Amino acid sequence: MTMFYRHLRNELWKLFGKKRTYIGFGAFLLAQNAMLLTFRFTRWQADLERMLAGNGYLAKEYVSALTVAVIMLIPQIVLLMPLYVALVGGDLVAKEVEDGTLRMILSRPISRFRLLFVKWVAGVIFAAMLVAVLGGTALGFARLWFPWKSMFVFVPGTVFSLLSPDEGFRLYLWSHLFMTLNASVVLGIAFMFSCFNMKPAAATILALSLLFVNLVMEGIPFFERYHEYLLTYHFRSWHNVYAQPIPWAQMGQSLCVLLAANLTAFLIGTAAFQARDIKS
Amino acid sequence: MIQLKNLCKKFGQQLAVDDLTLQVPAGEIYGLLGHNGAGKSTAIGIMLGQVWPTSGDVRICGHDVTAHRRLALQKVGAIFETPAFYDYLSGWRNLEILSSYTAPTSRQRIQEVIEWVGLSGREHSKVRTYSHGMRARLALAQALLPQPELLILDEPSDGLDPEGIHEMRQTILRLHRELRLTILLSSHFLNEVEQLCTRIAVLNRGCMVFEGTLAATKQRGWIRLKAGDFGLAVKQLRQAQLITEERDGHLIALGPGIGTDQVVRLLVERGMPVYEIAPVEDTLEDFYLSLMNGQKEVEVK
Repeated sequence: MTMFYRHLRNELWKLFGKKRTYIGFGAFLLAQNAMLLTFRFTRWQADLERMLAGNGYLAKEYVSALTVAVIMLIPQIVLLMPLYVALVGGDLVAKEVEDGTLRMILSRPISRFRLLFVKWVAGVIFAAMLVAVLGGTALGFARLWFPWKSMFVFVPGTVFSLLSPDEGFRLYLWSHLFMTLNASVVLGIAFMFSCFNMKPAAATILALSLLFVNLVMEGIPFFERYHEYLLTYHFRSWHNVYAQPIPWAQMGQSLCVLLAANLTAFLIGTAAFQARDIKS
Repeated sequence: MIQLKNLCKKFGQQLAVDDLTLQVPAGEIYGLLGHNGAGKSTAIGIMLGQVWPTSGDVRICGHDVTAHRRLALQKVGAIFETPAFYDYLSGWRNLEILSSYTAPTSRQRIQEVIEWVGLSGREHSKVRTYSHGMRARLALAQALLPQPELLILDEPSDGLDPEGIHEMRQTILRLHRELRLTILLSSHFLNEVEQLCTRIAVLNRGCMVFEGTLAATKQRGWIRLKAGDFGLAVKQLRQAQLITEERDGHLIALGPGIGTDQVVRLLVERGMPVYEIAPVEDTLEDFYLSLMNGQKEVEVK
């Protein structure tokens, strides 16, 4: 077990020792601030207030830090997070093969499975940290401009919820667990491709392409009855945390599908890597 | 220390290693020679469990690498051509990371090895600031950390300047002398192999075409003869059936059971001055080239 923690620490050193890691985090912070300013100084905020007022609610009570934080998170979780996590996941194995460092590691008495498992766990920790930082900074920046009041969450066709500040904050934290699962699935898919004999960029592109195909299929009416088979459909389960009442059955299904997808991706990647010859 | 038995490796239809049987005894500096694509790196990859053999057995330190990789590589260190590190981390951190894949390594041991390879003072600098020579020393340090009994060096001098090559050569000798390591050295530099190795194997297109001591490569039976008139001397010696061949205007091959004393006696008796007569030792390069040319002729035939 000590060796496992030691290896995990090594992987985290490698991951967090790269400048690129912080450049990515920096890009997220910039995007968050850009969105916040756009919300604050364009018609966006006024439109939201109008919608609340149109439904008979006192707009000023619900345009809060929590409401704006979720508004900031939605596009980031849909667009930026998968891109960045796929980049990191695609690098995990393929970059080490490309750089030649994996050959150095594999001259040591460590099993390939163990090496990959540690890398995957490090990747999941990275994904969780990314989501936590995104959530924390989104709420922090939103709080600088907006008061701590009740929360309003609106996702067309799924969620229209009004929550007290305490309940809203509790659910905000809960939703991050599901976002972490989403991020780890994206990472797992990129990691799987990374285990095959390909360049890191190819692994990232393939993972993103797979998600894009899922997204496109989800938008085609023919596939409506097959939504349960599409990953992007289950990625939205984090919205349902805010639904009232919470659709537990649907969330349980999504949770199982995402966990299974993650495990499958890991096993396929491991099997492919196990069979590979590592050459310079 | 290393035992390969009927080892074969195919990449698709291409045969990279063909029925390779090899034994590296403990305490040797064993040279693995061959041109690019001869199968040296593939064979090393198989020894380290990085490449799966198509058939055959590989045993390192008495353990089957395919079945018990962990046990087999416990006391093995390896260096590859152009050693790769995490450039954005310090040398020390790289050593900590790489050594932990074998066993927990104390700070004291890391410091000891850093001093041994001569990297003291630079161990906390980022590896990207290291020169090629320093990277080679760091590679050596990571190989030495698990206190290996066997060191596998795949083109360790590749990319080094002449000073670096000299330093690497001295280090290998020191490792052998002071730490009593068994060393498998794959190299393109024939003079390096000649100066370091006690035994060599030559690979050509995946097949082993020679295996033996370095001394065996030098005993080719040519005698250098400097006489007043070489042509006339050769004529006389042939008539007396003392030599079988001559070449290059100064080399003769003696007949079976003939000694140099008989050659000198005959030439002196016939009034020919003999200025020098001595056995010639072929260089490893001569041996290697003649071996490869011989192989080419066989292939053409």
